[in-house]
Amino acid sequence: MSATDLTQADFAALPRQHSADQLSRPSLSYWADAWRRLRANPRAMSSLGLILALLAFVTVGPMVWTVDPSVQDVDHIGISPGADRQVTLTTPFIPWEPEALTPPTPSTGNPLGFTLAQSATTQSVRLTWADQDSPRRLYRNLFAPEDTGSFGLPLADLDTPYFEDRLDLQPETYYYTLVALDAAGEESETTATLTIDVTRVISIAQAQERGLIQPDESAEIGQTLKLAWHPLGTDYLGRDMLARLMYGGQVSLFIGLLAPLAFVFLGVIYGSVAGFLGGPVDQAMMRFADFVVALPFLLFMILFKVVFGIGPGESGILPMLAAMIILLWPAPARLVRGQILQIREEAYVSASKLLGATTPYVVGRHMLPNTLGVILVTITFQVPSAIFTEAFLSFIGMGVAPPTPSWGAMCNEGIKSMLTRPHELLFPAMMISATVLAFNLLGDGLRDALDARMRGAE
Amino acid sequence: MIALHYAGSALSGTNLDVSGIDVKNNSVSIIIREEPPQLNSSRATDSISGMVLGHVMEGLVRMGLDDRLEGAVAKRWEVTPTHATFWLRKNAKWSDGKPVTAEDFVFAWQTALKPETASQYAFLLFAIKNAEAVNSGELNPSELGVNAPDPHTLVIELARPVPFFDKMLVFPTFLPIREDFYNATQGRYGADADQLLYNGPFQISRWIHGSSMTFERNPHFWNQDEIHLDTIHVPYITSDANASLNFFKDSKIATTGLQAENLTEAMRLGWQIRQHRDGVVFFMEFNHRPERVTGNLNFRRALQLVLDMDELVYKVTKLPGYEPGVSLFPGWLMGESDLLRKEYPPEKIRPNTAQAKEYLQRALQELGLSQTPTLVLLAGDNPISNIQSEWVQQTLKTELGIDVKIDKQIFKQRLAKMTSGDFDFVLAGWGPDYNDPLTFGDLFASWNKNNRGQYNSPELDGLIQTAQGQLDPGVRMRAFGDIQQHLIDRAVILPMYERGVTYVVDPRLKQLKRRVIGPDPDLSRAHIDAGGQ
Repeated sequence: MSATDLTQADFAALPRQHSADQLSRPSLSYWADAWRRLRANPRAMSSLGLILALLAFVTVGPMVWTVDPSVQDVDHIGISPGADRQVTLTTPFIPWEPEALTPPTPSTGNPLGFTLAQSATTQSVRLTWADQDSPRRLYRNLFAPEDTGSFGLPLADLDTPYFEDRLDLQPETYYYTLVALDAAGEESETTATLTIDVTRVISIAQAQERGLIQPDESAEIGQTLKLAWHPLGTDYLGRDMLARLMYGGQVSLFIGLLAPLAFVFLGVIYGSVAGFLGGPVDQAMMRFADFVVALPFLLFMILFKVVFGIGPGESGILPMLAAMIILLWPAPARLVRGQILQIREEAYVSASKLLGATTPYVVGRHMLPNTLGVILVTITFQVPSAIFTEAFLSFIGMGVAPPTPSWGAMCNEGIKSMLTRPHELLFPAMMISATVLAFNLLGDGLRDALDARMRGAE
Repeated sequence: MIALHYAGSALSGTNLDVSGIDVKNNSVSIIIREEPPQLNSSRATDSISGMVLGHVMEGLVRMGLDDRLEGAVAKRWEVTPTHATFWLRKNAKWSDGKPVTAEDFVFAWQTALKPETASQYAFLLFAIKNAEAVNSGELNPSELGVNAPDPHTLVIELARPVPFFDKMLVFPTFLPIREDFYNATQGRYGADADQLLYNGPFQISRWIHGSSMTFERNPHFWNQDEIHLDTIHVPYITSDANASLNFFKDSKIATTGLQAENLTEAMRLGWQIRQHRDGVVFFMEFNHRPERVTGNLNFRRALQLVLDMDELVYKVTKLPGYEPGVSLFPGWLMGESDLLRKEYPPEKIRPNTAQAKEYLQRALQELGLSQTPTLVLLAGDNPISNIQSEWVQQTLKTELGIDVKIDKQIFKQRLAKMTSGDFDFVLAGWGPDYNDPLTFGDLFASWNKNNRGQYNSPELDGLIQTAQGQLDPGVRMRAFGDIQQHLIDRAVILPMYERGVTYVVDPRLKQLKRRVIGPDPDLSRAHIDAGGQ
């Protein structure tokens, strides 16, 4: 091709081109990229799923499992999950009046005449024996007594020939031992032991009260029923654990989510103002933040309780929220200030300023979006610590007021019967652990996903 | 100085390695919950000081193993409406070998009443002539109506007839103090093992504050025949129930209390579990100040009819040895010839929700309220009272629709709030100071400072005056029966339960005595039976 081939037309200006290069793939924004990387992280995703499930558990849960968390069932205290629920209908409890009773006569096989007067139920076990001058001591044991001297739990010293045992009767086998006392009140060798199987009973009125039978439904004495189902057992006052976990979670998550959102928001504003203005203003603001860090949290929590006029027996949730917001903002504020100070010196910020961008534009377009990753990660890490704080304060009795449950308060109650009824501690403790773990793992995943330096990396 | 002393004591405390029962050395080890604040008998208030003093000191009389009053320093005595006379035995001696004289009692009681001693139990001596005036500083201590005409006779002039005066003398405030020794300690009397002069079966040979104590047999004690042990060790001072149980399991101590959660284990191990009712009665006390709704009789009756204390004791608290409350007077108090409660059986209130609702309606009308008010329940801050107060809260909510706020407070703060009347009802307890129903009976007298609900009824005050002033036991006991009935009828309090203690003792240790009145536990007459396993 030679130069003479060029025509005038070749030197005409091209029409103004309005479209940039055509991209064959959809544009990947910062957020889309972060979301893509987060999705690729199975730990973070399962944590996110767990958090959503927990939120559903405390919000949708109570609509599905409509058991009142404060209803006490004193016949059903501290039962473990999956306990037997068989119960027999019986007549209402009437105190035993054995004055008219003829005491049994002693026989050779049973020198004390120790007998069960009526069938043993969880309402009462009625025992009687031959009337004699010297007093008797009655014991109850969960294990078959082997040698003399250890008959189990002493119930009473009696000079009447009868006794009605009502102490914490469970549908189990009990060994009752009657020991004759001598004149000095010492135990003699004369003993008699009865093995008694106790059946669980409920009166018709009680069954109606608990909704086991309808008021108009015909019910017969002796009919067997199933007691209310408690999938996670009951607590020390016979309240349903599942319902209490749901309502308790509401308190825990309310504090756990609202408090970090609020104080991180406060911290972001404070920190960005300090970082952006810089100089003596920054110095003054950050020294004030240092001052707030030095304030003791627990003391302020108590002070807020007083200032808020929270009387005894009232929930301490609001002062707790206030104390957390007012005292915990410096940490995110410092973090954001550091970021802003760094970004302020970046070339693209200077370029933007040179091109005539206004301060709000620079802050809104360049600075805050670049700190958002840090802020989000801070929030996710603050959530578990806030949940812990709530749990701790409720554990020491400064949080919710009874009968409102919270996971921390439930742990506090559960720890007292840890050895005998571990489920009362285990379930709320597991809920706290699961929530805290999920938020921590999600925070980890978010930190990786939002790190701009890892952009595009697999 | 103090810090040094403490560091040293912690070291030597760990060195006290003794076993629960040491047959060879004839010694026994026990645990105490807290260290006695001090052992000056004129100022002692707590039960632990009482227990220690019961082992190392001896008063005029003591409670015997059969729970009857017996002579101790006093050989015999006589109580008339105007005078009480005690004849002291001549062989009673202090631990330095000098005899115990009537002057020692005169000095001790004068000291207890001196305003500067500030004894909290000075009121126990108010039965003595001029005692109140001495206590308020109006009269010189020497004008107290107690005289020693000779070293072995003590004559007490009584301000008013007190039929149970001799029974009150079991209390530590009445123990003797020898003047020359007291003055020589220069205000440190009872603060340390060597700052105390002993006249009881044992003397303190070692007292390491906060850590351990050792009691050794007092060679000058007059009644050596009844004393069998040579040494009693207190190797640990802790209120931790689990630690105590573990010490017992390791045979480091000879007796321990049991908690409800340890009972199954104790039964499985085949321990000999014993039970003791410690005499304390717990009740719900209402605030009777007129501005409170609980000042309304019908309102209180409504509460009386829905709170089933049987349910509380048998199903909620579930502690063995607890007896559902029916009366302010516990079951062990003696009446005229039999137990008071047998002579005057209290009426048992049966729960009745329908009737309770009627009473509540009536109360609301009388008070001019349109809806049920929210009540403040003052309670202690411990696991048992937490459970109980939540049970009360829920029962009142479901049965009567009354909202209850629970005010949990530590003991001191609870007492302060009770005194200032900052409550509607409170879970309270009362333990006896002496072995007479009056120790409970005058609790709700309008003049009693412990009547913190400020119940004020001339009828009840009259009954209490009869019980205080009359000498005829029959008349007095009838008055107590009437007081009991009055408290039930007017729902002044709701008796909750009588407290019980469940414990185990090493089977080789015999005659360990648990008491309601007097030192508890009492090992002074105990002995070791090596074959008792």
